[in-house]
Amino acid sequence: MNAAMSAETVLAATGITKRFGGLVALAEVDLSVGDGEFVALIGPNGAGKSTLLNVLTGLSAPTSGHIVLDGRDVTRLPTHRRIRAGLGRTFQHGRLFPRLSVVENIMVGAANRTGRSESALRRHALAQLGRMGLEHMADQPISALSYGNRRMVELTRVLAGEPRVLLLDEPAAGLNLGEVEDLMARLRAIRAEDRVAVVLIEHNMGMVMRLAERVVVLNFGRRIAEGTPAEVQADPAVLAAYLGEGAAHAGH
Amino acid sequence: MRSVLVLAALLLAGLALSFVVSEYTLRLLNMAVIAAVAVVGLNFAFGYAGLISLGHSAFVGLGAYGLAILTTKAGWSPWLAAIPAVAGTGLAAAALGYPLLRLKGHYLALATLGLNVSFGIVAANWIELTGGTNGIAQIPGLTLAGHRIEGERTFLWFGLAVLAVLGLAALAIHASRLGRAMMAVRDDETAAAMTGIDVTGVSVAAFVLSALYAAVAGCLFAVHVHFVSPDDFNVAHAITFLSMLIVGGEGSVAGAIVGAALLTFLPEWLRVLGEGYLAFFGLMMLAILVFLPTGIVGLARRWRRPVRPAASAPGGARPGVQP
Repeated sequence: MNAAMSAETVLAATGITKRFGGLVALAEVDLSVGDGEFVALIGPNGAGKSTLLNVLTGLSAPTSGHIVLDGRDVTRLPTHRRIRAGLGRTFQHGRLFPRLSVVENIMVGAANRTGRSESALRRHALAQLGRMGLEHMADQPISALSYGNRRMVELTRVLAGEPRVLLLDEPAAGLNLGEVEDLMARLRAIRAEDRVAVVLIEHNMGMVMRLAERVVVLNFGRRIAEGTPAEVQADPAVLAAYLGEGAAHAGH
Repeated sequence: MRSVLVLAALLLAGLALSFVVSEYTLRLLNMAVIAAVAVVGLNFAFGYAGLISLGHSAFVGLGAYGLAILTTKAGWSPWLAAIPAVAGTGLAAAALGYPLLRLKGHYLALATLGLNVSFGIVAANWIELTGGTNGIAQIPGLTLAGHRIEGERTFLWFGLAVLAVLGLAALAIHASRLGRAMMAVRDDETAAAMTGIDVTGVSVAAFVLSALYAAVAGCLFAVHVHFVSPDDFNVAHAITFLSMLIVGGEGSVAGAIVGAALLTFLPEWLRVLGEGYLAFFGLMMLAILVFLPTGIVGLARRWRRPVRPAASAPGGARPGVQP
């Protein structure tokens, strides 16, 4: 059942613990992602999802535990070296470079692979924009974009770096229904074309259940459940975490 | 392309002026060109990478003293002396950059201010090497193909040529992946790292580039004035460089040049104010920071394009910083 067991594992975090003083934000969390697999990471607010993403990307160092990316231990590597090694991440509200145009933002993302000439960078960036249906915005300033388009440009910037694992931190937050549908279609297309593994943090359960192959549930910094969307939805521990103990019992 | 034309227009204006103005104004123009070289350099650190440096004068001084010492004590030609003077300043900036650039914002400003003060103290007290507060006199001028670059007008032509080369190089860097990386670091360090940018490396690169330009400005100063002393490179000059960049428009090569020229001539035009100039200068800076944060170049840009770019016009207006 565990897809990560069968496919080649591309990202494996084992025994990740993160303490902030006396607070344990993550306790012995394991997460492994198979090549091209789509994993959703869910849990109530404060469960430690974003903290785990920060540890995976090197924004904060784990108190203990190891992270292996593509067979290589990256636990001590700084963020930019992990990105060059194949990691990509978007932020909760989208973080673009406002002094650069749309295409220049994408070119920054594309430049993590060295050896591309300036014109090759631009061609690659325009092709990425074209694939996302954003090529008409290439020369616009970031300030002219809607919130939804900003988030799509951020996703394009990450994809331009050709990551092997894409970490998405609530990509649907703040998007309207149409934009969420559009985002889901894009994510499906991206996976079909690029065979990129995805770790999705999302509160939109409809999106999680429709896209994810495997769901990992965190609560109070611990992994409380893992399985297919259907399995996780029926798991009493998950119902208890989201709805309280009583609801879990009532559901049975 | 437009930024290259603006740069060419500014340089040609300087060239045209060289035929009509008085000897005194020519001297001021030379000071403006030398300052412009330093400020175009400061633009890498402050304008692009967002590093507040109040130690820029120290790098100008390192270049100037390097050339002065090698020409007067070791008898080198100024052309030859300029090479180690500029390269040594770059190395010094790299060595200082790694520890200093762990600091951000006000802390970096304070640390670079300390650096500039330290430079002044060393220059004033290492008497056998620097001549102390008496400075170093009789620095030889430049000779090019048998012609001496002497006299204000000839020197101005040479200075404009140097500024043209360094200005074009700055525009090329602006449009390169290093330029975009510097601006990305200033906009959002975390997001920059998340695109694979080595934030510390890019910051040090910006700092070193700014120091290299400063050192070239220092060499120009030494071969123009033929005399250097610690007072030429004190903190007041560092603050003036930063003011020039802000007045002209940070993040812009043209802005750096316009700001350098304006703040070189303004004290002369307003000499009637006497000591009151400082009060005027302070109020002017305050007004620019509040009402014109993108400087004179930003004002020109707004005037040229008064409405926001149409949201659907492809290939239209370029955003944000323009070179």
